[in-house]
Amino acid sequence: MKAHLMFKDKDFDIEQEPPFGKDMLVSDLELNTVFSAMAREDKVIMEAVQTALLCSLKNSDEIRYRQSVLKDCIKNQAAVRKLYALTIETFERKRKEHWWYSTQYLSSLFSSAVSLLQMLIGMLKKLRGIADESIQSFESSGFVTLFSMLQKELDDDYFSLVNQHLNELKFREGTLISARLGHYNQGVAYVLRRKQKKCFWRRWAFAPSFIIASRDDRGAADLSARRDRAINEGANAVAQSADHVLDFFNALRNELAFYVGCLNLYNQLQQTNLPTCIPEIAAAGESCREFKGLYDISLTLMLKKPVIGNSLLADNQSLFIITGANQGGKTTFLRSIGQSQLMMQCGMFVPADSLKAHISNGIYTHFIKEEDAQMKSGKLDEELERMSRIADHIKKGALMLFNESFSSTNEREGSEISRQIVSALKDHGIEVFYVTHLFEFANGYFGQHLSDVTFLRAERLKNGTRTFRIMPGKPLESGFGEDLYQKIFGIRE
Amino acid sequence: MFYSILFPDMKRQTAPSPEMPEYFKDLNLDQITSSILKGKSEYALEQFFYTPLKDTDAIVYRQDVMRDMKAPELQKQIKLFAKTIFDTEKRVIDTLDHLSDPESYHNNYLVKGHLLHDAQQYCHAIKAMVDELKQDSLESAGLSNFAEYLHDYALSDAFISLSSYVERLKSNLATVKYCMLINSGTIRVRKYEGQQDHSREILQVFDKFKQSATKDYRHKLSEEPRAEHVEAAVLNLVATWYKDIFDDLDRFCTQYQNFIDDRISLFSREVQFYIAYLEYIQRFQEIGLNFCYPEMCTSKEHIKSTDSFDLALAGSLIPQQIPVANSFALTHPEQIIVVTGPNQGGKTTFARMFGQLHHLGSIGCAVPGTEASLFLFDNIFTIFEQEEDVKTLSGKLQSDLIRLHEVVNKATSQSLIIINEIFSSTTLHDAVWLGRKMMQAILVIGALAVCVTFLDELASYSPEIVSMMSTVQEDDPVKRTYKIVRREADGLAFAVHIAQKYGLTFDALGRRLQR
Repeated sequence: MKAHLMFKDKDFDIEQEPPFGKDMLVSDLELNTVFSAMAREDKVIMEAVQTALLCSLKNSDEIRYRQSVLKDCIKNQAAVRKLYALTIETFERKRKEHWWYSTQYLSSLFSSAVSLLQMLIGMLKKLRGIADESIQSFESSGFVTLFSMLQKELDDDYFSLVNQHLNELKFREGTLISARLGHYNQGVAYVLRRKQKKCFWRRWAFAPSFIIASRDDRGAADLSARRDRAINEGANAVAQSADHVLDFFNALRNELAFYVGCLNLYNQLQQTNLPTCIPEIAAAGESCREFKGLYDISLTLMLKKPVIGNSLLADNQSLFIITGANQGGKTTFLRSIGQSQLMMQCGMFVPADSLKAHISNGIYTHFIKEEDAQMKSGKLDEELERMSRIADHIKKGALMLFNESFSSTNEREGSEISRQIVSALKDHGIEVFYVTHLFEFANGYFGQHLSDVTFLRAERLKNGTRTFRIMPGKPLESGFGEDLYQKIFGIRE
Repeated sequence: MFYSILFPDMKRQTAPSPEMPEYFKDLNLDQITSSILKGKSEYALEQFFYTPLKDTDAIVYRQDVMRDMKAPELQKQIKLFAKTIFDTEKRVIDTLDHLSDPESYHNNYLVKGHLLHDAQQYCHAIKAMVDELKQDSLESAGLSNFAEYLHDYALSDAFISLSSYVERLKSNLATVKYCMLINSGTIRVRKYEGQQDHSREILQVFDKFKQSATKDYRHKLSEEPRAEHVEAAVLNLVATWYKDIFDDLDRFCTQYQNFIDDRISLFSREVQFYIAYLEYIQRFQEIGLNFCYPEMCTSKEHIKSTDSFDLALAGSLIPQQIPVANSFALTHPEQIIVVTGPNQGGKTTFARMFGQLHHLGSIGCAVPGTEASLFLFDNIFTIFEQEEDVKTLSGKLQSDLIRLHEVVNKATSQSLIIINEIFSSTTLHDAVWLGRKMMQAILVIGALAVCVTFLDELASYSPEIVSMMSTVQEDDPVKRTYKIVRREADGLAFAVHIAQKYGLTFDALGRRLQR
């Protein structure tokens, strides 16, 4: 029995190692805020969303599979949460009521395993109940398959079979054991046997028998040793069965956790009146960046109020150079690109009115950092070293986000370094977004009038106000630092 | 026709003497024997180590077997075989005890099961040994005859019917499958009627939830019954459902009370003689000391031994030290070896070695050394220094003389006499006089002798006497070499040198006292 909600035909490995660059992605794109908003203190959800977001899917079928499951979740929040809560409850009950699960003594192992199994059967019945009441309202193949499977595997006949077994395990009519003869006729190879339903007592009532005398302690000890040998396998079977059921609940919980996290985030965004949408995936071979109202999701979560969204229509572009006034919203724009790409590629909705994009073969960030605290290397050294490590891993089709990189030297040198790096990346099919003040670099590309390079600029109104909108625009020589100076030093023109 | 692995036939079997020979203690043969027999007391082998053989054929018979048994694989298989037969027989005797008493607590199917199982072990051991002996090249008459005996036994009607009865019973018992219903204090028994394996069924019911392999919760439990009387009672109940098989078992136990062949049983005990000795000498061979099979001669033409050593001393020295090897030779008319020289030089050890070699050679064992020709004696007499015996009120001299008198009366020309440092508690003049009388008496008897003494005068008496001396290192006269060599007695006991070392000569002591 499998709960395949994350992938159509394989299990979701919640512990999967994310690819290279995960730490940088998380800190540069401010993902921890997103994770916390999704997890809301639930450790399993935290693990699940981290894994899902960072281990991007590369296959559009896989993404659409998850999107359809997610749509179902949004439509049927209560049922999904109920399902998830059931798995949580199961583990809670095991922890609280069955903590005395002892494996040291065989008889106590047996009885505690039976008792645990009985609790789990109860939870399975509830699970089946949820499937029964929900199956009509779900459409995604993921959920429909799950619910039908639950109905089929956990049907009434199954529960009555299980009950029958659990009843027999009470050994009300004694323990039935088969044996063979060992090398000196001692009984060996004890196997616990089921009693036949019909005529059991008729046969056994008159079978030749031996009665242990009441004061025969050794005899009594012998009898219980016999029973222990027989129930050794039985206890193992019950305990392992309980383990199997628990493992199933665990798998179900892991598969659901991600979606519950999405629902948590969805609800929060709804409250702030911000749009979300299920993104459209470009066909294979297409290069497409089209969005309306895309915003930085972690910024909005932190501020707890709406933020400015951006729009773009850029197909077949391989390089985006973003220039413009300081504090104009360039970094937030860059972040929103990275965030939405990750969210799309794990099957989530994205923070926009609408979005269509192609799948990236890996996402890498190179953002400006604090001066190296240990002063091991100069800033440029550190930046180049970081870039080199990215170069070890980055492949064709990847998405590279630069934020003010290589500006820790004079403009001429910085521009030259950037030009070389960006050209190389571009020539090898890597999509680059570059937020920069390096005018020579930006202008260099502008002068070439290439058809696959887009220039964007942070909008600044005539009076100096930033709108935080990123619009198409050629690079300008000044960064309008003057505005800031005026503002801070309060000198009017 | 095989008789015994220790004797070629009944005629040559000497009556065993369970008593230790008188000369054992003086020659430290008691120490050697107890080392050899450590851990082997159940085989009662002492008598074979105590009793010299009188017949060269019997000795060669044993030497050949011992030579064959040095081969490691054969030795291993024989050890296993002998132990299996011997231990099985012990158990069978116990079992028969129980089964002969109908009231006995132990007269039950478990014990009968043991008997059957022992019979099977016995049959398997026999068959395995027959196969093993076919493959080996056996030079000794003893083992070849035994191999033939065993081969014929394995083909005999008696063995074949035992073996097939056992196998038939065993395979029938393997078909027995029963069920016990345990309810409070009662066990009921019926045949197994195809009831399903409950544990497997439970696993099947819940198998659908399985995601991956899980832990194994099984405990390690013994399959031995806790209480014999309960298991025996259960078996009686089982027997009612399989009457034919269990009646057959009963019949087997009555018919094959003692199925072990006498000759094979005797072999399993007697072959331990060779095993014990070979195991004992291995520790010496491992560090490079040599052993050889002596030629036991009936004439005294030429008696010798090359590079031999005292086994008891060697046992206490190894592995830290190796004993010094010594040789001797007596060619007619040489009859007596007189050993003189510095104290603590190895003289008594030498004398003991002479005695040990002869005794061990006479029971057919390999002896220390690279080659040896030894005399087949009728008896060994030892005259060693006695402790002063307050009870007898004899002085030492008197004890020595009484003993000497005894020996002179009993010894024949076929005897060996070994004398160690007697006549030490009298004047030199008397000691020499008595000593010469003693030598004369021995010469008259014609026995071979070794005499360790401080009386150099005895060493040059006549052509029948060989003089040997213990030696010291040339550069440091205090150090003994422990080498005993043929040499004229040179009259110096070197005691003076020792005194010098400790500053106790007249001159040296005088100077010290003057201070």
